[in-house]
Amino acid sequence: MSESLAVGRAQTRPAGRAGDTAGVAALDARRKLQLGLGVIWVLDGILQFQPSMFTKSFPDMLAASAHGNPGVVAGPITWSASLIDHHVVVLNAIFATIQLALGLGIAWRPTVRLALAASIAWSLAVWWLGEGLGGILAGTASPVNGAPGPVLLYAILAVLLWPADRDPGAPSVAGRATGRRPAQAVWLVVWGSLAAFALLPASRAPGAISDMLTGGADGAPAWLAWIDTHAASALNHHGLAASIVLAVLLALVAVAVCLSAPALRAAIVLAVVLAAALWLAQGMGELFTGMATDPESGPLLALLALAFWPAGARKEA
Amino acid sequence: MGGPAWLTAIFAAASLAVAVYCAGRLVVARRGHRPTELDTDGAHVIMGVAMAGMLVSGLRTLPSTIWEVVFAAAAVWFGYRMLQARRGAQSSPWRSSHPLPHLVECAAMVFMFLILPAAAGAATSSVSMTMTATESRFSFLTLPLAVYLFGYVVWLGDRVTLHAPALALATAPASAGPRPGYGSGSPGPEPARPYLAPRCAAICKITMGITMGYMLILML
Repeated sequence: MSESLAVGRAQTRPAGRAGDTAGVAALDARRKLQLGLGVIWVLDGILQFQPSMFTKSFPDMLAASAHGNPGVVAGPITWSASLIDHHVVVLNAIFATIQLALGLGIAWRPTVRLALAASIAWSLAVWWLGEGLGGILAGTASPVNGAPGPVLLYAILAVLLWPADRDPGAPSVAGRATGRRPAQAVWLVVWGSLAAFALLPASRAPGAISDMLTGGADGAPAWLAWIDTHAASALNHHGLAASIVLAVLLALVAVAVCLSAPALRAAIVLAVVLAAALWLAQGMGELFTGMATDPESGPLLALLALAFWPAGARKEA
Repeated sequence: MGGPAWLTAIFAAASLAVAVYCAGRLVVARRGHRPTELDTDGAHVIMGVAMAGMLVSGLRTLPSTIWEVVFAAAAVWFGYRMLQARRGAQSSPWRSSHPLPHLVECAAMVFMFLILPAAAGAATSSVSMTMTATESRFSFLTLPLAVYLFGYVVWLGDRVTLHAPALALATAPASAGPRPGYGSGSPGPEPARPYLAPRCAAICKITMGITMGYMLILML
């Protein structure tokens, strides 16, 4: 049980009504968020087992992320895509198994540290070789297309949810592992960079957001395609205004981490709403196309936001 | 289902292995008076067989209509168990103490058989069964079902860490008292032995959850 205490602040609870568990480790907020991250890794692993991932489509998709990147970034992407192209079945099966193992490893308490550490390394590798650093250097990064790269958020979450108590009195889960100031800095960088990306030409150009929304509708079920196409139609001639509004909202979320707990809570609610809106704009990560390798940035941004929720009891502490 | 043949065969083998193991649990529990979740194990026996048939056409046993009725009945049972638990009824170590995930599993099976008529029909190979739920009006159900099952898998993974007695308590009802396997309302004689292999039971549930989640993802 000592391991349980280490990773999840296990608490015992008395026997309740039928169906409750007696004397069983309860899950604290950090453990719940860790398990949330584990669920997304398991989903990623199973998505990687989709039939299309065992075909040439997968290395082609990876190779496409090299476009527009500097040679030093694009070279390894092209090399790895070529390698995968030659051994796509074996390598894809390995990739899928690794991601599934990361999810299950986070779920299994004795391996949570190992799995989180491995997920950081894996995420950074995929961020480069699979997502072309999120298009940041290629000038294609936009919050609407998943910048700064969904997989980078896995690494950030793994750090913030690390099972250590560097600052036990921190008001949020994120601050406990890294300390309040570093956690605040991470929040500022993530949401501030999203605000900045929203103002880049990739987002503010006429029709840019509208085109991304239209792309999100491709292969989506009718109800999601309806949402995306109608949103695309509404924003068709208002791309600049939409990107400015989005940037302002994201900037508000970013600076709220320096404000009082009530203001931060309101900002976190806004962040979750924005994450949901971005997810819909991304066609829910194109999960319905059979080519999705992850659920895109929306769910991860929401999970990140929840990690900063200021708990009442800890605030008093 | 439309995955690579070797991959669907692995998942089919896993679900069949769970079915065989759960059948064994039912026999051992009966003979040794060791408490186990009879309804869960029973559901996993039929679920494993049905899922294997959906994944590999050569393993099909019954027409889809029969499976739909079977899993609808199982869903009704777990729904009834859920209502009982909500009303605070005293539960038994011989029945599932967390019926909701099994209700969802049974509902997902009915959903898959309804969405994929070809999957349980007379198709000649698994590769030919590539209809996706996206074409269906109920496509919005596929992703939530899969995510729920993955959530259940991860939650079980967290619980597996507990020592066996605690895990038994986690899976057996609290009303059974401080020692696992003791409770009232059991269909058989009052059990006097600890819960039957709780970690193996959890691993079976994890395996079924992952396999069913894989099948749902294939339908996206």
